[in-house]
Amino acid sequence: MTSIAPARVDLPLDTAAVEPVPTPPKGRRGLVITLVLIVVALFWISPLVLLVITAVRPLADFIGNGPLSWPDQLTWKNFSDAWDIGNFATTYKNSAILAAIKVPLGVLVSAMLGFALAKLRMRFRRTVMFSVFLGLTIPIYITIVPVFIMMRSLGATDSIFGLIGPYLAFGIPFEVLVLQSFFRQIPDEIIEAAKVDGAGDWRVFFTMILPLSVPALVTVAILDAVATWNEFLFALILLNSDAHKTIPVGLLNFQGQFANNNTGLAAGILIAVVPILIAYTLLQRWIVGGLTAGSLKG
Amino acid sequence: MATTVAVAKQPKRGGRWSPWLFALPALLVYVAFLVYPAVSSLWFSLTNWDGLSATYKFVGLDNYFKLPHDPVVVTAVRNNLIWTVVTIAVPTIIGLLLAIALNGKVHGKPILRLIFYTPAVLPLVSIASIWGWLYNPQYGAINSFLRLIGLDGLAQPWLGQDSTALWAVMVPAIWLRTGFPMLLYLAALQGIPNELYEAATVDGASKWQQFWHVTMPSLRPAHYIVLALSLIDSFKVFDMIYAMTYGGPGTSTQVMGTWMYFNVFQYYQAGYGTAIAVVITLVAIAVGIPYVRSQTKEAS
Repeated sequence: MTSIAPARVDLPLDTAAVEPVPTPPKGRRGLVITLVLIVVALFWISPLVLLVITAVRPLADFIGNGPLSWPDQLTWKNFSDAWDIGNFATTYKNSAILAAIKVPLGVLVSAMLGFALAKLRMRFRRTVMFSVFLGLTIPIYITIVPVFIMMRSLGATDSIFGLIGPYLAFGIPFEVLVLQSFFRQIPDEIIEAAKVDGAGDWRVFFTMILPLSVPALVTVAILDAVATWNEFLFALILLNSDAHKTIPVGLLNFQGQFANNNTGLAAGILIAVVPILIAYTLLQRWIVGGLTAGSLKG
Repeated sequence: MATTVAVAKQPKRGGRWSPWLFALPALLVYVAFLVYPAVSSLWFSLTNWDGLSATYKFVGLDNYFKLPHDPVVVTAVRNNLIWTVVTIAVPTIIGLLLAIALNGKVHGKPILRLIFYTPAVLPLVSIASIWGWLYNPQYGAINSFLRLIGLDGLAQPWLGQDSTALWAVMVPAIWLRTGFPMLLYLAALQGIPNELYEAATVDGASKWQQFWHVTMPSLRPAHYIVLALSLIDSFKVFDMIYAMTYGGPGTSTQVMGTWMYFNVFQYYQAGYGTAIAVVITLVAIAVGIPYVRSQTKEAS
């Protein structure tokens, strides 16, 4: 999903800030378009709105009045039921630990490779670049059988640590693509100047490149965290005990158990998506900027 | 932008091995967990391995010859094709229309943009759960809505019958995939210089003509990126089908990715399953190569 996006991140800008295309003054026409868009947007977001309404009403109320009615009664009980039965305390912890290890590690090694590709004289540079970017096109399922065998022989099945390697590998192509193109925009002169002063490649990387690239690093980290949080297939084949499941696999189980409890199911789905919705709302500037800015200038 | 990149190419210092120290950690992980497994799948696809036994036999291309005779593979290929066309065309068109509308003098633009992109950040499994719940034949919102407006006859088990299941799964896929083209087109539209429209107006071009002769040509790089990335993405379809229909009813919504999974983990035909994965991966690589090349070239 967010595993691939175009190259080149500039400083993330709020794209709404610029409006060069001439349109009639904000008059009646703007109002009509706004109204149409509001209707479309309400329709677009209605599944989530229905989900919230359903999650806060008792099951009897839902069945009695139907899914499209306004609740007669409100309750939080669905959330506590779903939280306990859905094992969310465990799956949350697992997903969070996984993301906390995987994302910084992935961004660091990708930044190092991106730096080598963008700023160091490296042999076979284009071959390496092509081979790494080609990873964007590889579907995960071509690797699941060998990865499963590998993890079994390492004794790393049914452990979130067994997921770190495959997750890193499938994140690297995108992260390197974005980061190396950002590093490329850093003028060589300042690197040369630092080297004249005796700084080695490592010092340049840690004290100049990384601090200058914070916007790109943040964007990549956010997109990578979303992808890690949402990954399903590797988690499905490698994790089997409830104690080690991540949010997506846990949610799927939960869905089976709550097939006849619509309000509990709605609460469970919300529990699984609320953190990502909050993070998205707070960080959307970075996501939007990262996905679009600069990608079209080439 | 382009000029600074060109000027920036200068001789660089650094030891001959130093770059490889930077490159090595990522490359090792990449080779160990992506390249090596992908290549060893090529080998497994030439065996009759069941996925459990300690031994297996080399069977050459037998698994590949079996593919066209497997009716489910035929269904899966057809479903993959429909999936690719529909989940590229529809989100691209809706995304473009939304971007054009949002690019006008619209109130509350940031919040509208936020709403339209929201589905794209949700886990696929949760999207599958949400829509599975909306499609519920008895208590689902979709059938309730149809009954509410008097179209009782249209209420049906959307995910439970061959004729509608695949289409019903594609609706949430469209919901999820419209946000990205919208953002990209919006950014591209905002990059079109005003002068182009002014000149066109002076030349007496109508709004419609301006759209086809100024807007659309200016959006060409955006079209390219949207199409390339959607195409690459569409071959990876697995989560949605698995979580919403499990390939069913029967095998009517199987795609290559899920059919591969079922063969390996349910029917113990790991050799045959990997052959399915190899075929679709080769197609995905072939289709993705022009994009990968363009990204490599741009960076050099």
